Amino acid sequence: MDISLSGSVTVVPPKVRSIEEDVDLFGGNIRQIERLKKTLGLNERRIASNELTNLDLCEQAAQVLLEQLNIQSSDLDGIIYVTQTPDHSQPSNAALLHGRLACSTECAALDIGLGCSGFVYALWLAYSIIANGSSQRVLVLAGDTLSRLVHPKDRATASLFGDAGSATMVEKRSEAGASWFRLGTDGRGADSLIVPAGGARLPFSEETAVETSDADGNIRTKENLFMDGSEVFNFSIEVVPREIEALLSDAGASKDAVDYFVLHQANRYMVHNIGKRLRVDLERCPVDSFGAFGNVSSASIPGALAYELADVLSGKCEGKSSHQVVLSGFGVGLSWGTCLLNIPHLGCLEWRAYKA
Amino acid sequence: MEIKIFIEQFEESLDGLEAGSVTEATAFKELKEWDSLAILTLTDTIDLEYGVLLKKADIELCDTVRSLFELVQSKV
Repeated sequence: MDISLSGSVTVVPPKVRSIEEDVDLFGGNIRQIERLKKTLGLNERRIASNELTNLDLCEQAAQVLLEQLNIQSSDLDGIIYVTQTPDHSQPSNAALLHGRLACSTECAALDIGLGCSGFVYALWLAYSIIANGSSQRVLVLAGDTLSRLVHPKDRATASLFGDAGSATMVEKRSEAGASWFRLGTDGRGADSLIVPAGGARLPFSEETAVETSDADGNIRTKENLFMDGSEVFNFSIEVVPREIEALLSDAGASKDAVDYFVLHQANRYMVHNIGKRLRVDLERCPVDSFGAFGNVSSASIPGALAYELADVLSGKCEGKSSHQVVLSGFGVGLSWGTCLLNIPHLGCLEWRAYKA
Repeated sequence: MEIKIFIEQFEESLDGLEAGSVTEATAFKELKEWDSLAILTLTDTIDLEYGVLLKKADIELCDTVRSLFELVQSKV
């Protein structure tokens, strides 16, 4: 398959919030904050202002990407936007972005309602529609503004999630090698990561805005993101290493042949644990973007690529003409997606702060 | 499985816990180091050492380190 990424840009809000600013959330317990920094790798996260939506972040990422790759928006024939925090329940963010970028009316545009696994799902779809001849060049957007959904007094989520938007180009490239994908879902785990209210099942009401405290003293409403951290952790360490092993087996590839394992940046502990279970050198499992952006949902994999691997994957610092990279996203659904991509040098790989 | 080794692993998995501070009779949920992060690191240690992935609810049903040890032993 002569298909590959050709570039990716991640845009984060300019506002930085550090874990130290959450001292009140942890009852003034500095030691607890030190533990979270040391164990989970919590440090800084990016927070969108009330006026800034994920569409704004992704639009800027898309504009920078198109400019850097010297591609006209009229040359796109597919837009796939992964988000669970769209501007409106309808129309889709993909259609709104299509309008903002003034794309051709021949361009298909759709949203995918996924979180942390979504980037890999969107790549799978983009590769598929290029492979079947429906499209030549697909723009994949991925990101959320989860900071708006977490309750500031919920210690399980408030310090963990940040905001980001990403734009990634997928197109035919004759120098690209084979790519492999594995996707999966376990809807029985849906309740362990959920925003209960705001959809058709439980519309917003006075009742859904009532704050309640759980057994651990965390406060939230039914309109906030709930995460059962323990369940999600167990799911991740059970499923992700197994899926990566299976993917490599499908591809007939060895772990040694993989240059990088770029996992969803859930937190440092999770990434390192999956790396340990895979018995791979942790230097091949980037995780520093977590401490800079927070867990940024579907933007975390492109964010990690841009934050840590920009020079390598753009061919600025070593002789390899292409890299073998495993990407793996996992989260809300519960859902997971893993792929092995052969990526020739990218024309553009960067991250930047949003500029109004 | 040996209780002595299990206790050492328990102590190592909880950040801030000193070696020798825990016995098999310790009511671990009353330790000041016990919180959601401790559940995560303990779950992880037990899975890596014994291949047993415990659920939070299973751990919370145990009172002492000995009862936790026996739970893991029953699932190995």
